Amino acid sequence: MSNNYLFARRALPLAFLTLLACGGFSFAQTTGLPPLGLPPEGETANVPIGGLAGGAQSDLGSTIKNPAGTEGAHRGRMLYVKLNCADCHGYDGKGGMGPDLTDKKWIFGGTPAEIFKSIFQGRPEGMPSWGKALPKKDIWQLVAYIQSLGGSYPPQAEQASRQGDKPGELVAPELDFEQALDGSPPYPAHPFPNPSASQSNSGQKKQ
Amino acid sequence: MAKHVLLVAAAVAFFGSMPAFAQHTSTGNPPSPDSASSQSPAAAPKPSENVTGATASFAPKAKPGEWPRQARDYANTRYSPLDQITTTNVNRLRIAWTFSNGIPYGQEGAPLVIGDTMYLVTPFPDIAYALDLSKPGAPVKWTFNPAPSNIAAGKACCDPIIRGWVYADGKLIYNLLDDHTVAVDAKTGKEVWRIKMGNAENGETMTMSPFVVGDKVFVGNSGGELGKIGWMAALDVKTGKELWRAYSTGSDKLDKIGTDFKPYYKWMQGKDLGVKSWPPDMWKHGAGAAWGWISYDPQLNLIYYGTSNPSPRVPVQRPGYNLWTSSIFARDPDTGMAKWAYQFTPHDQWDYDGVNENVLIDLPIDGKTRHVLVHFDRNGYAYTIDRATGEVLVAAPFAHQTWTTGFDMKTGMPKVNPKEQPKPDQPLNVCPTDIGGKDWEPAAFSPKTGLLYVGILNVCMNVTDKVKTYIPGTPYDGMDMKRHPGPGKNWGAFIAWNPATGKAVWKIPEKFMVFSGALTTAGDVVFYGTVDGWFRAVDARSGKVLWSQKLSSGIIGDPIAYLGPDHREYVAVLAGVGGAAMVEKSQNGFPARGSTLYVFSIDGISPGSGAKLLTTSAGAPATPTPSAHEGRR
Repeated sequence: MSNNYLFARRALPLAFLTLLACGGFSFAQTTGLPPLGLPPEGETANVPIGGLAGGAQSDLGSTIKNPAGTEGAHRGRMLYVKLNCADCHGYDGKGGMGPDLTDKKWIFGGTPAEIFKSIFQGRPEGMPSWGKALPKKDIWQLVAYIQSLGGSYPPQAEQASRQGDKPGELVAPELDFEQALDGSPPYPAHPFPNPSASQSNSGQKKQ
Repeated sequence: MAKHVLLVAAAVAFFGSMPAFAQHTSTGNPPSPDSASSQSPAAAPKPSENVTGATASFAPKAKPGEWPRQARDYANTRYSPLDQITTTNVNRLRIAWTFSNGIPYGQEGAPLVIGDTMYLVTPFPDIAYALDLSKPGAPVKWTFNPAPSNIAAGKACCDPIIRGWVYADGKLIYNLLDDHTVAVDAKTGKEVWRIKMGNAENGETMTMSPFVVGDKVFVGNSGGELGKIGWMAALDVKTGKELWRAYSTGSDKLDKIGTDFKPYYKWMQGKDLGVKSWPPDMWKHGAGAAWGWISYDPQLNLIYYGTSNPSPRVPVQRPGYNLWTSSIFARDPDTGMAKWAYQFTPHDQWDYDGVNENVLIDLPIDGKTRHVLVHFDRNGYAYTIDRATGEVLVAAPFAHQTWTTGFDMKTGMPKVNPKEQPKPDQPLNVCPTDIGGKDWEPAAFSPKTGLLYVGILNVCMNVTDKVKTYIPGTPYDGMDMKRHPGPGKNWGAFIAWNPATGKAVWKIPEKFMVFSGALTTAGDVVFYGTVDGWFRAVDARSGKVLWSQKLSSGIIGDPIAYLGPDHREYVAVLAGVGGAAMVEKSQNGFPARGSTLYVFSIDGISPGSGAKLLTTSAGAPATPTPSAHEGRR
């Protein structure tokens, strides 16, 4: 068992080297993009896994912006096809073997940092772990492509992503009252806060 | 289409007067312009006539009321000798009882009935149930939860499904999605043995139903979409120990090909073709998974099974015939050694797996009874093949196809249409689509009419190939594809097929795909279900739809008939759309998923419903008491 496990873990990077040797594409090749300002090492580690509720709420790191920006999406698409992501999640991103990436429904969170972590770490039920096989900038480019499909959440909307809130939806006024009973901070007036506002996605006053 | 018909001219000349074409449209759709409807109508077969003179062995002779293996017999006929339900009374069929297993994945395969017990196994997480038919309401006798790994759920190409299980030696034997084969005691529901056959992490899964001959159980893998090398293995029914394993690609040694191996056609003869018909090393991830059905001929002592598409699905990456993918093997069940093989789709460029069932019948052709197998391939052709030698006797399209311009009976090779060969990054329209003119949904044979009955698909694809790299645990696929219905716009149909002439006798076009197995009965009623949830009973001779009922979800299971402990004939089928049938999900009217077994009887009568059943375990009438409502909420 353990031998098999080790082999499997090793197989991915090996396959990747083979792929490089075959000239499928090369990391050395210039992307025409300025070097990415990656978030400090460890910052993404603080991003909680999506879908945690209640007392486990955390803002740590969840507001990290995608350093690949929107320009990274083009190369992200190339990686998406080359690395067989498309064969699971669909060439249109609408799912297949793997989940739909366009429907605003995220098991493990839909903000850029959460999507980054899902790709980096892999997820149960089939999602491979790419953290050892891919440089971080490539993963951020994949995230940029997924963001371009329109199904993700902006960096500040980690809570909205978790609660299934959609842009433009109404918020019942009683939410503040009910959350006060629990001693939790008021619900944001807008589930999708303005990115230029406070880094925190809580504590906003209702208008 | 006319061209193909000419190729079987000899057979047609002999049986030319036999087939009848009575088109019955149950959906109000326009008739499809393919083979059946283009023929001139002839008289319907006489009430007692065996149209082809074909028979089958039905070994190993199960009790008439039982259903101990997926296709009921070794020959894979799916024929029930029960005749209480007839063309006259089938319109009184009503639901007798139901059972929900609660699993929201495709409900494929058939339940088994042995004695007073029905045995079901669910899609992932592969939970098994025994239902006591001798008690009102068929209560759960035992449950077995094998707890397979979650990783497997995401590595199955086409929904984490299972195509049922097999009963043998007091045990139920089945494959878990995470590549373990388990045997469960039929009486107690306790595990007897378990063997690890593969590694789900690398994209290998197991979905097929095991098949038992004597003291051996045969199991094969899935994972042809993820570049896993295909194999078939024999295990000891008593202990689960592996006795042999034969691969679908690679050297003759790996493929268990020896001096006894005699393929009928020259282009399949030679040494190590499982290596030589590939670019260097490509066979290692060339697939040929054995995820379909197995049949067995006790006289010849041969098992028959098909192999999946080659990987990657992009043909430009693997010039050559890619043996032995999209093929059939005939093997000695004792040694595993191959006796013959035949490749349905040489250098498969469209994902036309050869895994579909092989129905073994004895069929008069040109005045001589031939021991044949009938195979409806994904590639749209139905083959009638001499099962001793692998010689193709009849090859004719049963579904709309554009990938060939005909079939060369001399070489046994399809004439590939050069315009329908995909090139990387160039869009192309091809029929049938990847899931074929028919997928794994099994045909049935009736010894009373001598015909085969089968649900077919009428789906084409706009495909653009993308060159792929093998990365373990990810799809080795590369087909960017949009599917759409073929001519006539009906996504499916149900047909009766004459295996001697290679022609449909009648055809029922369906708006949605027909992705259920077929069931034939001695009452001359044939059953099938549609992806939008219609369960239908049809006159085996005329093709007239005699009865239909809409079930709670789409039907992709395989119907069975059995005798209850009350000596009443029941028909059972699972409803729960999923699997490859999900390719039609964007169609208006596509049903929600489901997980319900439906059991039907005449007038819905069973020991499980009626006034007298309102009794407690003490036998007294049930009366609610206040204490009944005091439980914790």
